Amino acid sequence: MLEVDNIRAGYGAINVLWDVSLSAAAGQMTTIIGPNGAGKTTLLRSIMGLLPLTQGDIRLHGRSIRGTAPWDMSGLGVAMIPEGRMIFKDMTIEENLLMGAFPKQHRAAARQKCEQAYAMFPCLQERWNLLAGMLSGGESQMLAMARGLMSDPELLIIDEPSLGLAPVVVNELFGVLGRLKAEGRTIILVEQNTQKAVGVADQVHLMQSGKIALSQPAAEVSLEHLHDLYFAH
Amino acid sequence: MKTNASIWVLLLVAYGAIPLTLGSNHYVMSLLVAALVIGGIALAWALLGNLGGMVSFGHSAFFGVGAYVSALLTLKAGTPIVIAMLLGGVGALLASLVMLPVLRLRGPYFALAILAYAHIFKIIATEWTAVTGGSAGLSSIPRFPTAFGFDFSGKVGSYLIILSVVLIFALCYRLIRASDYGIALRAMHDSEDATRVIGVNSVLLKALMLFVSAFMTGVIGAFNAHYINFLEPDYAFNGLWVTLPIVAAIFGGYRTILGPLIGAVTVYLIDQLVFKSLIPYGHQLILGALLVAMILFSPSGLVPLLRASVRRNHAAG
Repeated sequence: MLEVDNIRAGYGAINVLWDVSLSAAAGQMTTIIGPNGAGKTTLLRSIMGLLPLTQGDIRLHGRSIRGTAPWDMSGLGVAMIPEGRMIFKDMTIEENLLMGAFPKQHRAAARQKCEQAYAMFPCLQERWNLLAGMLSGGESQMLAMARGLMSDPELLIIDEPSLGLAPVVVNELFGVLGRLKAEGRTIILVEQNTQKAVGVADQVHLMQSGKIALSQPAAEVSLEHLHDLYFAH
Repeated sequence: MKTNASIWVLLLVAYGAIPLTLGSNHYVMSLLVAALVIGGIALAWALLGNLGGMVSFGHSAFFGVGAYVSALLTLKAGTPIVIAMLLGGVGALLASLVMLPVLRLRGPYFALAILAYAHIFKIIATEWTAVTGGSAGLSSIPRFPTAFGFDFSGKVGSYLIILSVVLIFALCYRLIRASDYGIALRAMHDSEDATRVIGVNSVLLKALMLFVSAFMTGVIGAFNAHYINFLEPDYAFNGLWVTLPIVAAIFGGYRTILGPLIGAVTVYLIDQLVFKSLIPYGHQLILGALLVAMILFSPSGLVPLLRASVRRNHAAG
């Protein structure tokens, strides 16, 4: 469904991604793991068009999306749930959700999508009128996920959802990820929690120093081997 | 209900009581007009800051361009003043077009870049002698005409014009803020990237806010040109046309719509009527101290402070 073909990208003079290629198959969960600074978030930002590519191409359904503005990605059925949640703290939970359906083509269905989000995340429904800044870390992450789902994306790009969350909440979160996968959504997940991430994944990629160090189907991944590579530097 | 009632009372005072009781006092009326001019710029500046998240030190450029465009159109092309004022706003909007490249910058970088841009227009006004009259300036700019049997060129007439212009702008601001775009702009404060990935064209929205803000400031500048009938580059592009509004907006509460207006009227009148009579020279010092005190004790400004105390009284009573 999504193909990243030999891309380079970075910040100004500093190049971060070195000839990265990977693909995400429809209906599957593609997981990218790797240590801090490996370029995982940079890769996701490049896919979303938040960063320009200096080399290579990214294709969605076989069509190049290189140079597509980030705000046009939701029209193509792609949504991102950014690292650190980035929820709108000064707005209520419901306003946050409605923002997720901001593009005109989604606004008509926004109410109905809101109800679906509440069904999936009951903790949000109870507090629909509360300012999002008052939520705990786990609840903020759930809100960020719910907001990302408001545009009913085919492809969901999730950046480090378990960052800084308590183990119980992490379990709950991976439960949600499992449900999303069961709904048939294509997911690209960046995670640091290797054990959990490999557990839900179909395909696993390990990134190191801006390169893909290992690509394997999740079933074949040996966590021990993975950890050896992970800490090899 | 409560706020609606108080707004009606304010309108009644502004349109009825003030012109009727103070109309013959030219000094106070001219202070009020000056305060509303500053208030209008403060409103436009706060719109850009509050909705667009941009801190501008370049509004003096929009003010000056609006003033010059309107003055030149009436002087050289005989354009009716009302149309010339609107075109002054359009001129300021066009001036803001060349500032679009700096929209990519954030925070202090944007503020510095726009300050530099503002200076360019002052140099153009000074050096393009054939059109602008250079540093000698433009004089006998047409006054406001008599309409509906009322002479708008006087103090009371000018007061009514600027009051109406500023209130219409406040209404536009309110409409923008309440719209879908206003909500998206509010979301942008927290995270521009997050708004982008959910499908908000943040660059376009910010540019639109810059246009609206520039247009408003240009119209105010045009008003001022016809009000004082004289322009020169050092006056029209003076940095005070942005620093005073900033002080007023922060003092009144730049996140609110009426805050910048109320801030401007309060700050300017207190400064001119009280501080100036106490300390004839350097009275702005007290203004600075007042601003510091406001930032320390009520960082969100005067209007939120008043609202909070009204709410407390209600709870107590």
